[in-house]
Amino acid sequence: MNANGRPAEASLNSLVDLLHRRAAEQPEDRAYVFLSDRGAEEASLTFAELDRRARAVAARLAAPGKAGERALLVFPPGLEFIVGFFGCLIAGIIAVPMMAPRRGGSRDGSAAIISDSRPRFALTSPALLAARPDVIERYRELGMEWVVVDPADDAAPPPVVLAAPGRDDVAFLQYTSGSTSAPKGVVVTHGNLLANLEMICVSLGNTRRSTYANWVPLFHDLGLIANVLQSLYLGTLCVMMSPVAFLQRPLAWLRAISHYRVDASGGPNFAFDLCVARFKPEQLEGVDLSCWHMAFSAAEPVRAETMQRFAATFAPYGFDPKALYVGYGLAEATLIVTAGRRGQGPVTRTVSRDALLHGKALPPLAPADTQVAVSCGRAGAGGRVAIVEPRTCRRLGPNIVGEVWVAGPHVAQGYWHNPAATDATFRARIADEGDAPWLRTGDLGFLDEDGELYITGRIKDVIIIRGMNHYPQDIEDTVQNSHPALRRNCGAAFIIGEEGGGEQLIVVQEVERTFRNKVADEDFVGTIREAVADEHEIAVHKVVLIRPGAIPKTTSGKVQRNLTRQLWLEGTLEVLE
Amino acid sequence: MQQLDPAEAEIRTWCTGYLAETLRLPREEIDPNAKFARLGLDSAMAIFFLTAIEEWLGLELSAEIVFEHQTVADVARYLARLPEVATKLEQRAT
Repeated sequence: MNANGRPAEASLNSLVDLLHRRAAEQPEDRAYVFLSDRGAEEASLTFAELDRRARAVAARLAAPGKAGERALLVFPPGLEFIVGFFGCLIAGIIAVPMMAPRRGGSRDGSAAIISDSRPRFALTSPALLAARPDVIERYRELGMEWVVVDPADDAAPPPVVLAAPGRDDVAFLQYTSGSTSAPKGVVVTHGNLLANLEMICVSLGNTRRSTYANWVPLFHDLGLIANVLQSLYLGTLCVMMSPVAFLQRPLAWLRAISHYRVDASGGPNFAFDLCVARFKPEQLEGVDLSCWHMAFSAAEPVRAETMQRFAATFAPYGFDPKALYVGYGLAEATLIVTAGRRGQGPVTRTVSRDALLHGKALPPLAPADTQVAVSCGRAGAGGRVAIVEPRTCRRLGPNIVGEVWVAGPHVAQGYWHNPAATDATFRARIADEGDAPWLRTGDLGFLDEDGELYITGRIKDVIIIRGMNHYPQDIEDTVQNSHPALRRNCGAAFIIGEEGGGEQLIVVQEVERTFRNKVADEDFVGTIREAVADEHEIAVHKVVLIRPGAIPKTTSGKVQRNLTRQLWLEGTLEVLE
Repeated sequence: MQQLDPAEAEIRTWCTGYLAETLRLPREEIDPNAKFARLGLDSAMAIFFLTAIEEWLGLELSAEIVFEHQTVADVARYLARLPEVATKLEQRAT
């Protein structure tokens, strides 16, 4: 134990060690509380209860020769996910968290995740089983063994002796990378998790008194690692609510923060905008946010205006603008890579917009030439960040934009059963700097003289909506599969920023010549919207149908998404009526 | 055409108006029998739609409503049969 009362990371071998230690040292303390949609406590788990129930699940999974098998975790919001997750870890089964497929949605990413990870088990809760029999029906032919984690079952686990996992053992696969057609499962070991949990703890300046509150889904690494696992690491309470409850009543999140005197809670940028949009003084009577010291914004680009609006709106309720906290990370580095400092508030820098377009961070030359960049903080303890020219792989100096590369004990092992993608992403070498492997993030940014990281864009085309990553090629595929008139490889999906901070998805798609006269009769727009909403959970703001051959392509036949976007913004695309 | 019950008709009209404004489409393009997904509503937007209905009616409703009933017509039919909704609409009319 160190001064903060948390275990020294080096003395732990696995998350299972961590859980057992919590259960032994503070058995009766509450670890998790789940709030109902109306804010009442619906369920809770002490550290001892979690340990006991997870061991009971482990006993049902474990058998000789099963270690290293995968188990899909398909849970509705609630505490059962956590019991199932630790049940897997104790049994030496690799957990694979997954979003429950959308009701009525015909195709989505789940089939590809299952075929890539080949799970032997699927864990779920009685609630999902009752409400969504279609989920089990959908996967019936895959022959997975369904294990129901019952929250009411508090029977003593059978005395099964299981081999304790070590730091190099795989804890779980995080499927947030790669397209839905070819998903990539990031292989995260116990050692990676422990290293990143320590990094989060040190960066955030967390202590035994850092109570957490979370509504981010647990199949998302931000929900699982930054909240549920970090609070266990600290031995503190994490108050949970469902993502739907948050979307429906965002101010309930703030009321929970006030009521439980929460120290650390956050979400993607849109969450802060949503609170401002739904602000109603009558719903915040008696709310005091002065306890909230770490309001972290992660998982999507952070906007300076969002932070200013949030701070101004909630300052009368005791919210301290210095509590706003920005971090940067990705699943390939377990979760966090860089983070700010407790109590400092976001660090911003005003740079020349024009110079930034040319890859340099310089002071503005004229008042019209300014852009405010928000720092994502510095490399977490034990980690390293480099800015590298992506083609020559040479390290770049301060204030020059290049690809963000990461090294350290938090960098995951690679992509599940995908050596080619693993080599390309996880085993990069900086020119003239020896053989040390680096992780390529695909993100662009610069470091300043103080080592503060500023993210400026991406190399890969990734569409981020409400904190979830989507790949344009997946959306384009969906569009082109939805009707035979929609030409293959002749469409582009991209986002445009809206005033007020929202991001809108635009789909541009060529229509076959033979169907050109039917554009008015066939509801292509409705068909495309429905397909994209069903398969990707996103709304298409605008569908633009164009004649064959109108989409800009490179000489090698690749669709030029950025150019298409530019033509659309300029209004020079010839649209079919 | 079958006559709708007045409460159901009123809810339909309000919902089509809300969706037209949100989706920036002409009102006549909002088909009450089209699935929300077809109109371009994802699940987060469906929840925001429900919140708007709550505010309009001054009632708390379950978000499940817009997942179990996936068209304006279905939502209107379901809501019109809830006693508390009928009461609210009557109060408003008088």
